[in-house]
Amino acid sequence: MRLLLVEDDPMVGEAVHQGLRQDGFTVDWVRDGHAAEIALAGGDHAMLLLDLGLPLKSGIDLLRELRQAGNPIPVLVLTARDAIADRVQGLDGGADDYLVKPFDLDELAARIRALARRVAGRAEAVMRHGELTLDPGTRAATLAGEPLALSAREFALLEALLEKPGAILSRARLEEILYGWNEEVESNAVEVHIHNLRKKLGQGFIRNVRGLGYMVVRRP
Amino acid sequence: MTSIRRRLLAWLLIALIAVGAAAAVAIYLRTSEDVNTLFDYQLQQLAYQLRNRNFLHQGGPDSGTDDSGADFITEIWDGSGVLIYYSQPDYELPLPRTLGFSNVKWNNREWRVFTTVYRNHTIQVAHPFSLRHQMTAQMAQRALLPMAVLIPLLGVLIWFAVGRNLRPLERVSAQLRARSPAALEPLSTARLPREVTPLVTALNHLLDRLGATLRKQRQFVADAAHELRTPLAAVQLQIQLVERAASVQERNAALAHLRQGVARSARLVQQLLTLARLEPDAATPAHTPVDLRALATEVVAELTPIAQEKNVDLGISELHDAATLGDAASLQTLLGNLVDNAVRYTPAGGRVDVALRTAGRKVVITVEDTGPGIPPEDRERVFDRFYRRLGNDLPGSGLGLAIAREIVARHGGTITLADGPGGRGLTVVIGLHAIPE
Repeated sequence: MRLLLVEDDPMVGEAVHQGLRQDGFTVDWVRDGHAAEIALAGGDHAMLLLDLGLPLKSGIDLLRELRQAGNPIPVLVLTARDAIADRVQGLDGGADDYLVKPFDLDELAARIRALARRVAGRAEAVMRHGELTLDPGTRAATLAGEPLALSAREFALLEALLEKPGAILSRARLEEILYGWNEEVESNAVEVHIHNLRKKLGQGFIRNVRGLGYMVVRRP
Repeated sequence: MTSIRRRLLAWLLIALIAVGAAAAVAIYLRTSEDVNTLFDYQLQQLAYQLRNRNFLHQGGPDSGTDDSGADFITEIWDGSGVLIYYSQPDYELPLPRTLGFSNVKWNNREWRVFTTVYRNHTIQVAHPFSLRHQMTAQMAQRALLPMAVLIPLLGVLIWFAVGRNLRPLERVSAQLRARSPAALEPLSTARLPREVTPLVTALNHLLDRLGATLRKQRQFVADAAHELRTPLAAVQLQIQLVERAASVQERNAALAHLRQGVARSARLVQQLLTLARLEPDAATPAHTPVDLRALATEVVAELTPIAQEKNVDLGISELHDAATLGDAASLQTLLGNLVDNAVRYTPAGGRVDVALRTAGRKVVITVEDTGPGIPPEDRERVFDRFYRRLGNDLPGSGLGLAIAREIVARHGGTITLADGPGGRGLTVVIGLHAIPE
């Protein structure tokens, strides 16, 4: 899952960036409101982690304008403002969740997963597809009850495909999900991951739609 | 404790008694005059009446009727000086020396005597003054009696009247008593007497200032707590990254970050403390002469290792002998902060110049750097607490310049920001009062 982190404090931003990447998320980090607007315009991100006390444009203003423009991106607010009024303003301004500094990295990751689950309309934390289960919390996968060893990128790719079974994700889209800014993407990286996944899951699990991209079949 | 009520009562009663005493004296004197006139007239009439009596023609002393209880003494002498009549045998007043009214001292008593001559007979009527005094006293007493009764009554009235008129004060104190320490809204001045209004107004002014200070303090505490959250958040996250580190290298890198995070928190706490000590209501330290030349030298010497490590050329461009009246410790903090900032924001290969000049009655300290500078539109706001400029990668507390301004203000000086040398970087100009040598 690719996230946009908007945080002006260099130390907090650096630590969150690094921590979330360790948790298997793809994270892009910007430092002010204007940069956040530009990054959001690309539409590559599944979620926005937003600090409220931003230079140039406050997080609250950014959020309000985002919602007014009809952008439904899930927003998790990270802020030092803990007054009830601030929380209410944040949530009413369009935030989906609210985390007050200082916070725990594991809690942040859990909230991101929970928010993603809610957005996808899943009740269960573990994703299932036939014999396959994916647990985004522990990043463990099983196939027919047996543990399945997956690399971080393989897991992320599978997660993206299982998010909406039946939907086709283009190669470019998958690249965007798997790789943040400043990350080198080899030209056939997605194909390599798909190839490896097919070896582990069976050839028919991931379908290739020529000229469009990849999908997993929806199950009744 | 003094009581206005008691004091007023005492003073008013004293005044009343004094007026009463004066009135008593006046009444006594007036009555005494009246009584004298009256008695004199009586004496005279009595004497004239005797002229028509036939006993004037009798010979030999006549004791007359027994008039021993009477207050008047009547004596008549014939032409040869023989007493031919007296009204009271026990009282034989001497022969008068003057006609008309006279005062005679006889037999240890003062007598009022009226003497008249009629056909060779000397008629003398007398009565003692004591009688007049007695009568005067009685009359005066009767006139003063109502006053004696009225004074205690007035005392009671005054007591209640004063009490009633002091009620606005009691109302004000009741209002104050009922308040919580946080309730600083002004007291109502409605229905207050003119004498109490200035007190309440002054109190309201005090409350107002107190409220402003308190609000400022609360804001500061709130801001401080808020500002501490971010460095603490960083530290907490950095700790987690240390815990998660999979290799020694990762662990060391994470620990280095953590150390920076802790150092930054400590620095913020230090600056908050400095600022709290500089709060306007904090006790002002005694101002003593401070040798600015020594102070500038010391600050530059102290920061030189850091500057050299960063490859920043830190030096002194001009150094006059100068001194100011002030607090040495806070002036050192001031200059230390400014030079430290300049060194931190100046990229490697840059230059930081400190200059100390005297100009008349002023001392001017400048700190010039070749760093990124601060655009003119931001040069006022950077003095605000917790204001941090955009694109500032150095995790500052946003307090350094706020502290500098506070210290300068405490010394009655000025601090301004200007372009650095050649229009690049930043120049901080501090103006202080010089001590004349």
